[in-house]
Amino acid sequence: MEFLDAKDLLSYLQDNLKENILDSRLETRTAGVKKEEFHNIWLEVKREKFRDTVKLFMELQYPHIAIIAGNDTGEKIELVYLFSLFYGEKFKEISINLKVSLEREKPSIESITDLIPGAQTTERETKEMFGVEFIGLPEMRNIFLPEDFPKDIFPFRKEQKGLDELVQKES
Amino acid sequence: MSISTYKIPIGPIHPSLAEPMTFNFEISGEKIQSVDLAPGDNHRGIEFMGRNRNIVQIIYLAERICGICSASHPFAFCRAVENAAGIEVPPRAEYIRVIIAELERIHSHILWAGIAAEELGFNSVLYLSWKVREEVLDLLEILTGNRINYGMYMIGGVRRDISEEHMPRIMKTLQYYKDAYQTLEDVFLKDPSIALRTKNVGIMTYEDALHLTSVGPTARASGVKKDVRQDQPYSAYADMDIKAITPDIYSGEVNGDVYDRIIVRILEVFQSVQIIEYCLDNLPEGEILSEPKIVKLLGTLKKAKGEGVGRHEAPRGEVIHYIKLNESENPEVWKARAPTYNNLMSWLPMLQRQEIADIPIVIASIDPCIGCMDRVTLVDSNTSKKQVLTREELMKLSIAKTRRILK
Amino acid sequence: MSGGSIIIFILNIFGALIIAILGILVGLFYKGIDRKLAAMLQSRVGPPIRQPFLDFFKLMIKENIVPENAIPWVFNGAPVLALVSTVTILFYIPFGPIPALLGDSGDLILIAYLLAIPAIALVAGGFSSGSTYASIGAQREMVLMMSYELPLVTTIIGLGWRLNLAYPGLKVFSLAALSTNPIWGLVGPLGFLGALLLLLTLVIVTPAELSIVPFDIPEAETELAGGVLVEYSGRNLALFELSNAVKMIVMGTLTIALFFPYNIAHLLSITGFFAYIINILFFFFKLFIVIFFEATLIRVALARLKIDQASTAYLIFLSATSLMGLLLIAIDYII
Repeated sequence: MEFLDAKDLLSYLQDNLKENILDSRLETRTAGVKKEEFHNIWLEVKREKFRDTVKLFMELQYPHIAIIAGNDTGEKIELVYLFSLFYGEKFKEISINLKVSLEREKPSIESITDLIPGAQTTERETKEMFGVEFIGLPEMRNIFLPEDFPKDIFPFRKEQKGLDELVQKES
Repeated sequence: MSISTYKIPIGPIHPSLAEPMTFNFEISGEKIQSVDLAPGDNHRGIEFMGRNRNIVQIIYLAERICGICSASHPFAFCRAVENAAGIEVPPRAEYIRVIIAELERIHSHILWAGIAAEELGFNSVLYLSWKVREEVLDLLEILTGNRINYGMYMIGGVRRDISEEHMPRIMKTLQYYKDAYQTLEDVFLKDPSIALRTKNVGIMTYEDALHLTSVGPTARASGVKKDVRQDQPYSAYADMDIKAITPDIYSGEVNGDVYDRIIVRILEVFQSVQIIEYCLDNLPEGEILSEPKIVKLLGTLKKAKGEGVGRHEAPRGEVIHYIKLNESENPEVWKARAPTYNNLMSWLPMLQRQEIADIPIVIASIDPCIGCMDRVTLVDSNTSKKQVLTREELMKLSIAKTRRILK
Repeated sequence: MSGGSIIIFILNIFGALIIAILGILVGLFYKGIDRKLAAMLQSRVGPPIRQPFLDFFKLMIKENIVPENAIPWVFNGAPVLALVSTVTILFYIPFGPIPALLGDSGDLILIAYLLAIPAIALVAGGFSSGSTYASIGAQREMVLMMSYELPLVTTIIGLGWRLNLAYPGLKVFSLAALSTNPIWGLVGPLGFLGALLLLLTLVIVTPAELSIVPFDIPEAETELAGGVLVEYSGRNLALFELSNAVKMIVMGTLTIALFFPYNIAHLLSITGFFAYIINILFFFFKLFIVIFFEATLIRVALARLKIDQASTAYLIFLSATSLMGLLLIAIDYII
């Protein structure tokens, strides 16, 4: 396995995905007294090409997925997959924050649990919190919410304002 | 011949679990056939609460995600906000941040070691290690004012300085831990009865660790050289040469068992001492906050727009916070990820084919922090049939029951 | 029945009552000492010595819960059986200078049987309580009991057999005979080593009898949340606690009677009533030392074993040790 630097990685992705990349940004930050640089890549791809992007990562190194951060913007459901590549050496690791936008009515995306089994926890959480359907997710039960939680309520969508009035008044 | 099995539940309340979490085991004889995890008993909805708070208030909320990682979460959160809003942190603050984070690592690892011993029924070692832990808690109290929940981190720096008067006390603690290393090594790594219970127990292979996206000492004990302080260093870590600690440094081989996880944690205590020493020797002079006036800081943050990711290697593994600011008082998105969240799946291969007696130590071996992992809210619904009881209704029911008993 | 035997019968009943009460009191007292010592070894303050008494009284006023799917008569009977059988052993064991109350009618073989009864009671109680945890604990208790019986019995037989060789006419399994002729005086250097191995066996069997770390596998707090005792509460639990405390005295006294039956009064050339007092005090001192080594020290120095590890340790290693001890004594006799 060879370590790519952030620019090469971004051009590798751009060469392979071409017009499927909706937005890409290389973010450089410095750390420490010596002001050494490290990089984050922000990437937005089309929903259809999402799985292929993850497969592209896998050709380089087995990617580490930290979590899916979901956001209900009101029109769309945005998912930000926080990946990181190239662990093992100082300053070689690059964070890749992969964004996908989904329809707000019936959002669905392909599951990546067959590629990275460890993604199951976070996919299940996103499923129950945002109501995103993950196609091919092997475990459909709730992970954090109770089993008898109403199926049509997704706590982290914007229309949910939290606990009911009574509790808010008391606290 | 089919194996006849029976079910035992461990949790939500069980002596070996400090926090609520349910495991459903399928057992035949004394061997585990399968295990099913059911987390979620400890939801508090912290990220949801964050939606109604401003950025500075969220720091204190993040601190309370977990009692033990109470430096790690604000550290990662502050980094996320600084990345999003483009705030520079003064060098002195970077060093103080690292000192506090490493002191926390010392206390967290020794706390874990004590719990692991208790799970093995070895109470003497529990008392010994918690006695050793007291020293660093005292130091943290002197430096920050609290044993846990330090309140040190602030966007753009830290809130308290480390002065010259603190130096002798810090040096004393570091020396104490250098001496204590020998004791810890003797009781944990050389004791035959601990070796008997932890070697070849709860094995996770290198491939499993990678595929199940384990982090922290859990992954490192399986030979995955993954450590944010090494891979993508930040703050003062960038000035140092930190190597991820894997068990082969000590024993020459990687087995991925509970014993290896003990090795990694004990060695990391010593690594932390060295990091703190470096920080104290090279502590830069200067400011500790880029913007001391909180009102002004909040004003800047209110105008900021952007996304940021903050990562920090907490004692248990990588903590990662994602924040999206959108020119308003409250963040648009705040997502916190604690290490146990990623290590959750690691339990499955570890517990497979183990005995009942191994359950507590294997569960403890990833240093689980359920409070960190479950952070999400329960939303009450009046529209649904299966209604979640409100507090008042619960109160009524509770009073009714008390009266019933009194009759 | 003649008048004399009735009086002896009544005296025996009174004696039994006194011994039972004293045994329980001393047992709880030593338990307190054990806890305090363990705390000091673990560098903490520890509970006051009267704590086991307080625990007992507290348990007595607590509600006695019988689970819905338990078998009540077994569930409630088990603790009584455990306590009664342990207290019964007290009648057959000499306490230093005080001879055993019923020393003539029972011997070491009987004691070995009686020692098994509390364990069986625990198993019955565990299985009858209808909880999975308790069932697992009961299974473990059974496995453990079967594992430690062999080394225990080997020790007893070894001692009796050697005594028989020395004094063929004697009732060799009677504790009185065993304690007037300690093993150390009968054997040569090889046999001395053999006797040491037998002593070691008894010391290591004791933690399993008392179910303390490292052999508290049936109760295993962090695994089974109390195991066999998980469903017990209130009075029933108090009775189990009592029987455990008495068992500690029994095991300590047994070790003393078999291996250290010495008195010191005649060495200090004290006679009469004072000699008696001195010997009793010396006995309690010996008991303290023995319990310290058999219970306190072992439980602070080791981690809990797994059931297969414990079973292997007893069935293979400890049995081998005790058989080796027996063999050494035999060789010592032949040469």
